[in-house]
Amino acid sequence: MRRAEQGPVLLYHRLVVWLLFLILLLPLAGTLLYSLATSWSATVLPSGLTLKWYLALWSDARFLSAFGHSLLVCFGALLLSVLLILPLLFVVHYHFPRLDGLMNVLILLPFAIPPVVSSVGLLQVYGSGPLPLIGTPWILIGCYFTVALPFMYRAISNNLLALNLRDLMDAARVHGASTWQAAFWVVLPNLRKGVMVALFLSFSFLLGEFVFANLLVGTRYETLQVYLNNMRNSSGHFNSALVISYFFFVLLFTWAANRLNKDLP
Amino acid sequence: MSFLVIQGLHKRYGATPVFSDIDCTLEQGEFVTLLGPSGCGKSTLLRCVAGLTEVDGGTIRLDGQDLLPLPPQKRGIGMVFQSYALFPNMTVAQNVAFGLRMQRVPRAESARRVAEVLALVELEALADRYPQQLSGGQSQRVALARSLVTRPRLLLLDEPLSALDARIRKHLREEIRRIQRELGLTTLFVTHDQEEALTLSDRILLMDAGRIVQSGSAEALYTEPASAFAAGFIGHYNLLDAEAAGRLLGRSMSRRVAIRPEAIRLGSGDLSGLIRSHSLLGNVIRYHVESRGVELYVDVLNRSAGDLLPSGRSVALEIAPEAVRELEG
Amino acid sequence: MTAPARRAPPWSAPRRGRWLAALCLLPFALVFFAFQIAPLLWVAVNSLQTADGWSLANFTRILESRFYRQAISHSLQVSFWSSLFGLLIALLGSYSLHRVDSRLRDFVNAFATMTSNFAGVPLAFAFIILLGFNGALTLLLRQIGWIEDFNLYSKTGLIVIYTYFQIPLGVLLLYPAFDALREDWRESAALLGASTWRYWCHIGLPVLTPALVGTFVILLANALGAYATVYALTTGNFNIVPIRIAALVAGDINLDPWLASALAMLLVGLMALITLVHQWLLRRSYHAAR
Repeated sequence: MRRAEQGPVLLYHRLVVWLLFLILLLPLAGTLLYSLATSWSATVLPSGLTLKWYLALWSDARFLSAFGHSLLVCFGALLLSVLLILPLLFVVHYHFPRLDGLMNVLILLPFAIPPVVSSVGLLQVYGSGPLPLIGTPWILIGCYFTVALPFMYRAISNNLLALNLRDLMDAARVHGASTWQAAFWVVLPNLRKGVMVALFLSFSFLLGEFVFANLLVGTRYETLQVYLNNMRNSSGHFNSALVISYFFFVLLFTWAANRLNKDLP
Repeated sequence: MSFLVIQGLHKRYGATPVFSDIDCTLEQGEFVTLLGPSGCGKSTLLRCVAGLTEVDGGTIRLDGQDLLPLPPQKRGIGMVFQSYALFPNMTVAQNVAFGLRMQRVPRAESARRVAEVLALVELEALADRYPQQLSGGQSQRVALARSLVTRPRLLLLDEPLSALDARIRKHLREEIRRIQRELGLTTLFVTHDQEEALTLSDRILLMDAGRIVQSGSAEALYTEPASAFAAGFIGHYNLLDAEAAGRLLGRSMSRRVAIRPEAIRLGSGDLSGLIRSHSLLGNVIRYHVESRGVELYVDVLNRSAGDLLPSGRSVALEIAPEAVRELEG
Repeated sequence: MTAPARRAPPWSAPRRGRWLAALCLLPFALVFFAFQIAPLLWVAVNSLQTADGWSLANFTRILESRFYRQAISHSLQVSFWSSLFGLLIALLGSYSLHRVDSRLRDFVNAFATMTSNFAGVPLAFAFIILLGFNGALTLLLRQIGWIEDFNLYSKTGLIVIYTYFQIPLGVLLLYPAFDALREDWRESAALLGASTWRYWCHIGLPVLTPALVGTFVILLANALGAYATVYALTTGNFNIVPIRIAALVAGDINLDPWLASALAMLLVGLMALITLVHQWLLRRSYHAAR
């Protein structure tokens, strides 16, 4: 199915693809324009362009702290998932291959259970009692771990499968490495790029998480998305600058992941 | 006492035995082949010697030392895998140096020894390439070099040539034999390819369904198969039951009989037969002949096109008595 | 003559260190239980609890209430239509993506991956700017005369915005499915006298059907559970199930975690039902015969 068309058929396909692109672009482009406009109301086009909204945004202490909170929570969650998922995957693939079936069902749960549903339980379980995590960043780190899990697990798992893990481990062991040395010297370096790609992509969607952040923590540890929502009554231009700044980071990380992915052997 | 001694070795997966009662020995510097159809347990046996798979009973002794309590990394054994199993994150030189790095051999000495074995497999020029930049034959030579660099006491080769195409396979086969002789390496080689086994080995261990069914030199195995399995697996023996063999040879036989197709002569003799068809195998023509109601394959050297016997021609044939081999069981 | 071909024995890892290996699973199991299983169990158990003990009263209360029935109906309508529109646009788009030159294809594919993250609060804000009462696009379309009025905060508005975030997801899921359509099928169908239209009816669409149904199910689940977009757009004033659940546990008045649990279980049950129907359809298709 990889054959470029010619003539009017090609024209049609190009038209569809460009239309698709435009549909996807429109809200972003509109927001970008709005964030650069001096004022824009009741007209089709803005009256003038300025960078003052970005300046205002990036000198707003509350924004900067929300952004910092978001980064910390996302990094924490991703660090946790790497620390938990890498050994898990190695052990599953190398020692207990039968567990992979069970894992594939388990990792569907975070995907199938909407965050709103989990939040109901989380609010009660961690609202008080021995582990009062509600209102702290810790609960977000735990929840974001589950949000990233299906994606991280599948991505790293595919990487491992492509690696011919068993023969490599055997070869390393025959040539003098213990299991741990083999895992560290042979398996881990080969997963590095795959893990990085998964991390970048996970980061870009974790940065946009709102449900857990709003319901479980809210303003007690304000993240980017919650801040954005709480600013709804301020200037639309200011908010647009916020949306565009946020999306810039998403773009940066997706782009980095794409680049890395292309270099992948 | 022999260099490698395997006694009463057992292995089962759940209720299915993989192999049982394996007894065999290897002399120092000997090249021994484990030959058998896929699934006969030969690869598992090799993995047990390497320590990659645990055994259920028996002993393996190398140079008088009991191997079974040792993990693979302590056994001093080199191994080459069918899939090459090169580490994709390391260059050729780093792959080869891996075993030395694990032994904490100083850098300078390691570099010298790596260069040495790379020269041995004629890959000095590719030292800085990555595995994905190599052809299959090159990859397997790197794998060979990797297993040689630590100067193993025993070299295990697990179908190392099976993933390669025919021409490379032949070349690499000779190369392996040359290096093995040069280093005087005791080698255990696993294959399902009879031609490989016959050309390479000092001795062949023929395996079937988890047992060693015959052991001997290539010549002995080829000319004196002990069982119907051996006769069927090596060469293209004509296998006749006792009744058909008796009819053909004109004397009563009590056992199954194997006759090599190239041991039957066409054109003279007191038997008469009918050419049914023929197929050209290059330097050999294989005729399908019927004689006294028995179907036989007869191989004849392909000297010139004029000698070809057409189908339907009657022909005299002679079977040398020493070519008739009565089989056990 | 040769031994019956047996399956190669299963590969096995060294038995040494198996316990240590099993120990490596423990931290994962603990965290996963704490943040995924435990809350779900709490919801499942407490959906059956009332002040007087175990009963189904929470569920009957929901089903008897017009308010909650409306929320369910809104959820289903918005999800169904947005999934359908999203699927259709993604289908046309990914087919054409397969037929244009690779530079345009790679660029738009990468862009779709990026915009799949453009959902929730930022998306709601972008739509307010573009399609709100005084949005630029609303004004433009009104000037041209294509629309009389457009209310982004209505059911139609929600379907539009939901459709938007379904499109990139649909493209990501459907695009690889077209790889299954081999060019030589099309060529041999043409040689056998089939028109493009008949090729699609008899070969193209039947081959794609499982992917289409699978994508539709994922989009549906995605829309049913979506909360951020509609919350940010209407400040929680539009009546759909996720908004109701959140209001019952985090609102300012009428906190009732038991009722919220029951509503949450209804949502989960709805998704399970969709998945079951999907599995059933999949088993009936010719793909299952493989």
